[in-house]
Amino acid sequence: MRKALRNIWLITRRELNTFSRRPIFIVIMFVAPLGFLVFFTSLMSAGLPTKLPAALVDEDNTHVTRQLTRILGTMEETQFVLQTNSFTEARQAMQRGEIYAIFRIPKGTTEAALTQRQPVISYYTNDAYFIPASLLMKDMRKLSEMAGLAITRETMRARGFSDDQIMGTVQPIVIESHPLGNPQLNYSVVLSNLLVPGLLMLVIMLTTSYALGMEWKRGCQKKLYSMSGNNVWVAILGKLMPQTALYTILMWLIDLVFYSYLQFPCACGIPRMMLWGFLAVIASQGFGLLMFEAFPGHMRMAMSACSLLGVMQFSLAGFSFPVSAMDVPFQWLSNIFPLHHYFLIYVNQALNGYPISYVWTSVVALIAILLLPQLFYFRLRDAFLYKEYVP
Amino acid sequence: MRKPTFPILHVWLDELTDIVKDEGILLFIILLPLAYPLLYAMIYNTETQRELPMCVVDDCMSVRSRDFIRRVDATPEVKIAAHCTSMDEAQELMRRRDVYAILRVPAEFDDDLWRGRQTVVGLYSDLTSMLYYKVAYLGVVNVSQELNRNIKVRERQSNTTRREEQVARWPIRFDEVKLYNSAGGFCAFLIPPVLMLILQQALCLGVGMSMGRSRERFRGLVIPPTRHYKNAVAIVLGRGLVHFLVFLLMAIYMAICVTRWFGLPQLGHFWDLIGFFVPYLTACTFMAMFYSGFVYRREDCILLFVFMSIPLLFLSGVSWPGSSIPPFWQAVGTAFPSTWGANAYVRIQSMGASLGDCHSEILALWILSGIYFLLSCFMYMFEIRKAVGRTILN
Repeated sequence: MRKALRNIWLITRRELNTFSRRPIFIVIMFVAPLGFLVFFTSLMSAGLPTKLPAALVDEDNTHVTRQLTRILGTMEETQFVLQTNSFTEARQAMQRGEIYAIFRIPKGTTEAALTQRQPVISYYTNDAYFIPASLLMKDMRKLSEMAGLAITRETMRARGFSDDQIMGTVQPIVIESHPLGNPQLNYSVVLSNLLVPGLLMLVIMLTTSYALGMEWKRGCQKKLYSMSGNNVWVAILGKLMPQTALYTILMWLIDLVFYSYLQFPCACGIPRMMLWGFLAVIASQGFGLLMFEAFPGHMRMAMSACSLLGVMQFSLAGFSFPVSAMDVPFQWLSNIFPLHHYFLIYVNQALNGYPISYVWTSVVALIAILLLPQLFYFRLRDAFLYKEYVP
Repeated sequence: MRKPTFPILHVWLDELTDIVKDEGILLFIILLPLAYPLLYAMIYNTETQRELPMCVVDDCMSVRSRDFIRRVDATPEVKIAAHCTSMDEAQELMRRRDVYAILRVPAEFDDDLWRGRQTVVGLYSDLTSMLYYKVAYLGVVNVSQELNRNIKVRERQSNTTRREEQVARWPIRFDEVKLYNSAGGFCAFLIPPVLMLILQQALCLGVGMSMGRSRERFRGLVIPPTRHYKNAVAIVLGRGLVHFLVFLLMAIYMAICVTRWFGLPQLGHFWDLIGFFVPYLTACTFMAMFYSGFVYRREDCILLFVFMSIPLLFLSGVSWPGSSIPPFWQAVGTAFPSTWGANAYVRIQSMGASLGDCHSEILALWILSGIYFLLSCFMYMFEIRKAVGRTILN
């Protein structure tokens, strides 16, 4: 036992020595994750995108339509950057990518409304840009709905109804929406919490297989094996421990920046998120190791597999597009990714503050991903003994 | 085979034969651009969330509240998966993730409506995905607006003629038009820019690995020590041409085949697309050649390029709106062809813009091509000098 510990320490020291001589390790393992942290938190510092550019085509141009458009101009998401009376001009601006939506009031709208002839107003959103289109659509729809109601309200006021009666007529049922855990619908809170740890996990997977593969590439795998006293696990532990330490510190730093500095909601307390972060780090290392066992000694293929699956796990984590809406094979597939489970744990713990027992399957899955490489350790042993570097 | 004497052709043929023999590079420049778009399109193929499981707490238990709930259940967006007697029970279902939203009809729902007052229905949604919130909200709001019109016209106002009723229902009508992606689907919105990113990233990986291979083979040099590799411009053009041509085919495959197989929007004319792909791929190729100067081992390219894809997707302004990106990051984004390329491609292919409508993007891509071409030439000139120095020393 003592000898094994000593061997682990020797291999760790050798590994640290390697890091110090290769700038790429420093750049990828340290600078890149910090860069992502700064990048995403500053990119989405607005939280929810507001003041999205749109065009107004007011062909009617009366005091009523101007009042309408002033109201629309005060709404949160909309900013009219183009006012014109030609729809073609607005459409061209949309095709040039200057605006995301067009609000059109055709000629004769006011007249038709006053004489009760049901005018039609229309709005066009550019759904090739999904998020701005959805946000603008919400605003414009609310305004169009309100424009009609305003006419009813004015008529009722003229007849002497009280405001309560009027509201009970124009909008009897009110929907009060409560997005749980993130009432401002701040995209940054959830997206940063998915992307920054996710990219760190991708880095972990890649560097795990890279650091291991380097031994074969340099032809030192046999030396490493003998240093470990012919014990695969001593070799792996010694090799990966420095990375575990570094990545855990980075993960904790991310947690501190998110929940302490940026004040993102964290209902479970920071120490507990740190625990899940640590679990995510070692599970990602397990995933990288598993890929290395799938292609023993074959560094390039292991890394390609890690990057292929590692980039895909952002889609399969299910924030922007929910996993429950995907085809069934992808719902199964999502379970092999550490990020998917980490994200579920994050939502359960930090965002909603539920007891962990509701996502115990994800905790078990992370531990399973961590332990799975144990089952195939013989492939690593064979790799150490018989496999050579494949370019 | 006799090798041509013209340097560009010589370099071109060298690079081509090298690539064909190298399984690792082929994986990145053939298999990756062929297979990855299919995989991504399949993930998002269902386009949107339908029949989101929701549970209802009906404290009112009246004919009218049941009618409201039945209507919500009938929307394509939402499915009533459970009826609960209390909020505690509903919350428990939410925690177990059996349902993703709770609809709460208050006890005074029916009373309020009969008395002509406003009544407030609560909607609580889970935020595991933003789409859950959007879908639940849309489904319930649509139903409430429809019911509101019915109540207003039939109960609150005494309209004498049918026409009067129609006008009271819709004093102003409105048309909601979703342009360029009429179903509001995810696949049609996300896959076109992702295709452009895949092109750029695969190019970087392919060129990077080829560079790493040269460095390993020629002991740290990026060029073989022969007399054909004396002219930096010829090397950049010769090597770049191989990758450019392969990826032009891949781009056409994505714009035609992938787009057609998955029913993505395809409004672009073929020659407009080609007119865009040429500057886009030129810029990507030269950028890949320049950044590969930092690749010292074959596998380094994977480390350097792979996780750039996610930040680049955000910088492009297609997923996160470009107008909300801080100016500093907008400026950083201009240095990458994918930022211009993703927007121009979406505009041409999804929105039917002509090349002229995208002239600023095309111009930017040509400028980037020029800058990266010069940078790659300088990089190779530096490497040639290093190679010459080493030969003299030897």
